[in-house]
Amino acid sequence: MEAVDRNRSCRGCGPQYEVTEAQIDRILQAPMFKDPSVVVPASIYEERLAACRDCEHLQQGQTCLLCGCFVRVSAYYRNKSCPNVKSRRWGPYTT
Amino acid sequence: MAANKLTINADQQLSTIDRQIYGHFSEHLGRCIYEGIWVGEDSPIENTNGIRNDVLKALKEIKIPGLRWPGGCFADEYHWKDGIGPRETRKRMINTHWGGVVENNHFGTHEFMLLCELLECEPIICGNVGSGTVQEMSEWVEYMTFDGVSPMAELRAENGREKPWKLKYFGVGNENWGCGGNMRPEYYADLYRRYSTYVRNYGENKIFKIACGPNVDDYRWTEVLMREAGRHMDALSLHYYTVPNTWENKGSATGFPENEWIETLIKTQHMDELITRHSAIMDQYDPSKRVALVVDEWGTWYNVEPGTNPGFLYQQNSIRDALVAALNFNIFHAHSDRVRMANIAQVINVLQSVILTEGEKMILTPTYHVFNMYKVHQDAKLLQLDLQSEDYTSNGKTMKAVSATASVDAEGAVHISLAHVDPTKSATIEIDLRGLANEKFSIDAVELTASSLDAHNTFEAPDTVKPSAFSAFEVNGHQLKVTLSPMSVTTLSIR
Repeated sequence: MEAVDRNRSCRGCGPQYEVTEAQIDRILQAPMFKDPSVVVPASIYEERLAACRDCEHLQQGQTCLLCGCFVRVSAYYRNKSCPNVKSRRWGPYTT
Repeated sequence: MAANKLTINADQQLSTIDRQIYGHFSEHLGRCIYEGIWVGEDSPIENTNGIRNDVLKALKEIKIPGLRWPGGCFADEYHWKDGIGPRETRKRMINTHWGGVVENNHFGTHEFMLLCELLECEPIICGNVGSGTVQEMSEWVEYMTFDGVSPMAELRAENGREKPWKLKYFGVGNENWGCGGNMRPEYYADLYRRYSTYVRNYGENKIFKIACGPNVDDYRWTEVLMREAGRHMDALSLHYYTVPNTWENKGSATGFPENEWIETLIKTQHMDELITRHSAIMDQYDPSKRVALVVDEWGTWYNVEPGTNPGFLYQQNSIRDALVAALNFNIFHAHSDRVRMANIAQVINVLQSVILTEGEKMILTPTYHVFNMYKVHQDAKLLQLDLQSEDYTSNGKTMKAVSATASVDAEGAVHISLAHVDPTKSATIEIDLRGLANEKFSIDAVELTASSLDAHNTFEAPDTVKPSAFSAFEVNGHQLKVTLSPMSVTTLSIR
């Protein structure tokens, strides 16, 4: 019975793919996002988010369609850069 | 301890290994189609009519034989007329199946068929049974393949394509037991008979009709479909994904312990039992094996990369995935009398991909390299073999350390591929080339291995895992003594 139920369930269209801001908040609770060797200073983070905000590739205010990342997460990383080759909105933070 | 010994009976040719076993799957999901394949004609990324040139080159290198599209779950919500005509006027909609992102329909029928023409591969189109009509499916086939005067042929010409395309493979629905309508097999079998009636052969175009088959071990689905609709189909599909842990917490693509290594590889070998048991049911209704079993979704499914949209199913790909690919190919070869097509999920940026992209950057995954090493088996004749292997044991789980396959191609070259799953030590295997016609021969060999369980390629270090020439073998007459590296895939070609 269990096997039949498992076989009938759809893997891809469950409600788990509706991502909430609270879920992204939980990702950002990880200790690494407080490690200055990993993340950019707060002012740079805000600049990056502002640059993403009016980008045509930002979906639902959350996801960058060019790399699949939540911008609230990817903008934290020092070594990340905007993946838009046409007009790169921000680059790696090297200071 | 048992020795590793492989006897290859080079004079015992079995079934043909259909090149379509090396097929791929592309869905409107995450960054597979958009960004992975389609960047648009005005993109600064080098492209041919909107399709990335770097991706075209990489897929041609592995001789991609076929590409399945537009889904997956997406297929049963896809209405093909939304994806034709001037791009600027095509419908924009939300892709409710995957990530809820906007689908602008810029990649539609014409773009997909152009992609297949550029790749010189067979298009494998999946029609909409779940939410589409018989007329809609029938007209799509007419639009693509009718050569003459008809409303759909005229519409195609208006959209810039005078001549019909050649279309061989057509799936009548996808996962109709789940996202394709949550149907019972009895209901779907009747729907299949009805829809497939109007998937017509126009002119010289002959369509190979693929019915939606079972998910994993739903043997009743296979029984009902073969009993009620077997004579109306050319193939029945099977979907099976390799998930290390549970669907709720699948496990990470990288950074996993050895117990997840062996768990993954044992689970992927479940494919052998699934094919064996589904084939046994098919044999009752189709003993001549006219109806193919088509594994049109397979591969690893992990937790998405941290910080990425879970609806995009973006995951890394390591040496573990390379071994998953090799083990599955060896299984598909062994069943190639019934399994005549397989499509790994998915070609780019989704699940067990062969290619990952980020903006203009592109990397080839360890899985890509296995496809490249195994392409010598495409359309070759499977050779009968006998394999004795030592065990590999970890965390209380045991599996055979070595898996093997062998084939002979049209030029008479014998190709042997070996997957060695033990990550802790090398293995010596004695190979007896019994029945080999040529007294003198040369051997070209290539190996894919790594130094850690989760070794993988990144945009910063794209060549961490890549094939290298292999020479750890001795030849004595028709006997070979081969030393396999830990966690390795090796292909030897004997000419």
